Amino acid sequence: MGNITLGRYIPLDSPIHKMDPRAKIMAMLLVLIAIFFPAGWTGYAIIFAAAALTIIIGKLSFTFIWKAMKPMLFMLAFLFVINAFLLKTGDPLFTVGSFTLYSDAVFQTLYIAVRLLLMVMITTCLTATTKPLDMTLGIEDLLKPFQKIHVPAHEIAMLISIALRFIPDLIDETQRIIKAQESRGVDLQEGKLTDRIMAILSLIVPLFVSAFQRAEDLANAMEARGYAPGEKRTRYKVLKMEGRDYILLAGAVLLLAGMVWLAYFR
Amino acid sequence: MPISFEHVSYIYSKGTPYEYKALDDVCLDIEEGKMTAVIGQTGSGKSTLVQHLNALLLPETGTVKVLDRTITASEKPKRLKSLRGDVGLVFQFPEYQLFEETVLKDVAFGPKNFGASEEEAKKRALNALKLVGLGEEYCERSPLELSGGQKRRIAIAGILAMNPKVLVLDEPTAGLDPKGTESMMKLFHELNRGHGKTILIVTHDMEQVFRYCDRVIVMEDGKVRVHTDTETFFRNPAACQEMHILPPALIRMKELLKENGFEVPDDILSIDALADCIARQVKKHG
Repeated sequence: MGNITLGRYIPLDSPIHKMDPRAKIMAMLLVLIAIFFPAGWTGYAIIFAAAALTIIIGKLSFTFIWKAMKPMLFMLAFLFVINAFLLKTGDPLFTVGSFTLYSDAVFQTLYIAVRLLLMVMITTCLTATTKPLDMTLGIEDLLKPFQKIHVPAHEIAMLISIALRFIPDLIDETQRIIKAQESRGVDLQEGKLTDRIMAILSLIVPLFVSAFQRAEDLANAMEARGYAPGEKRTRYKVLKMEGRDYILLAGAVLLLAGMVWLAYFR
Repeated sequence: MPISFEHVSYIYSKGTPYEYKALDDVCLDIEEGKMTAVIGQTGSGKSTLVQHLNALLLPETGTVKVLDRTITASEKPKRLKSLRGDVGLVFQFPEYQLFEETVLKDVAFGPKNFGASEEEAKKRALNALKLVGLGEEYCERSPLELSGGQKRRIAIAGILAMNPKVLVLDEPTAGLDPKGTESMMKLFHELNRGHGKTILIVTHDMEQVFRYCDRVIVMEDGKVRVHTDTETFFRNPAACQEMHILPPALIRMKELLKENGFEVPDDILSIDALADCIARQVKKHG
């Protein structure tokens, strides 16, 4: 469980880490939209270069990105098999018995693979360089305009930050319970089906009990300190946009515009 | 020697920025049939040490020998299961491991995992519940609706029902009231003296160490700083202070009396004996 890399924050000191979370979230959204324009391989090469540059400036390693990408490989393999059987356009590449592989099946899968890789790169650039709490501050601020149409911006941000805050705790708790039950002879790796079900139950029940307990404790602690969702609150940390944040945003807008141009106006 | 550590090191999150050496070249022999206390500050490696005893953690380097089994880094999980039946490990706040519908089923869960028949497991569960002082009236209740202290007893009964030769307890009295703590410690003492179990107990309470334990291991920065018998250990309160350990009240009392001109022999280890000794000296001076 210590090997989950997708979405994990890496505490480093880089210009990207210091940027305003609002700028980073906006830039990520813009670039994610840009990926979905059919701008061809040139477009993808440009986005890849931009993402790679961000990764280098953010002092992240490419092996880290690769690790985050790994879980997707199975999905891509699955997709390729389905495409190979269903897509019968383009040039036939080779034939085995009654099955013929067409070039479109290969290109379609490759297209999706590249898009997925770019998406993982871009989202990792955000999550690996932004503290979860900064992220929720950013989300709250970005949702503020929608409060006019009754989107509960603060509540959503609070929900997200509580959920994020408890992920490491729950992972620790799970590992603790696994160890406690292993000490009672539970075997999570092997055994008969009934034993395996029992083993999983012996983890899930205590985990739920303690999660509910934590939730109740937290709710009580928040209420005891006078927390009320609608109330006007001040912040300890005040977000401030600086020069580099505007540069990032400008870059993202430029990238999106470039993709639109490559896709429709060339 | 039933338990020995030979140059054992353990590192958490190896190869990441969070890398942390929890055990550093630990060499240690733990005597059979004794009650040994493991003390030390938070983060000194106590919990990591005890988790090696039933191979929940495998040593990074070095070997651990437990009851004729040798555990090294390359151990296969298959062989470890029977070891876990022989070395019962009770975690901190073990009440969080309860999950069955009834108390009896939960206590019988351990023995069943180690291959006991339904009947046998039930018999052992009833026995273990009696040991921890819970009568048959609790058997059919849900463990989740009982009080904290009762839950703790049930969780400990769940380990005792496996009938382990070695019992390892990680802060078993944390969060219990004084009365609950007292009866819990008496239970462990009885298991040690009456049933001949080797007991290892991680604790912060020096009164418990002083009253119940034969041997003391002090951990510091992943190393064994001191390993001696309790009496010798508390004979030198200055050394305790230096290790940030507050000696038990009786020892501190003796120190104060000595500083104020009383003669207090080293072998006085109970409050009554101390009172007699002081009374004699006061009378003499009239």
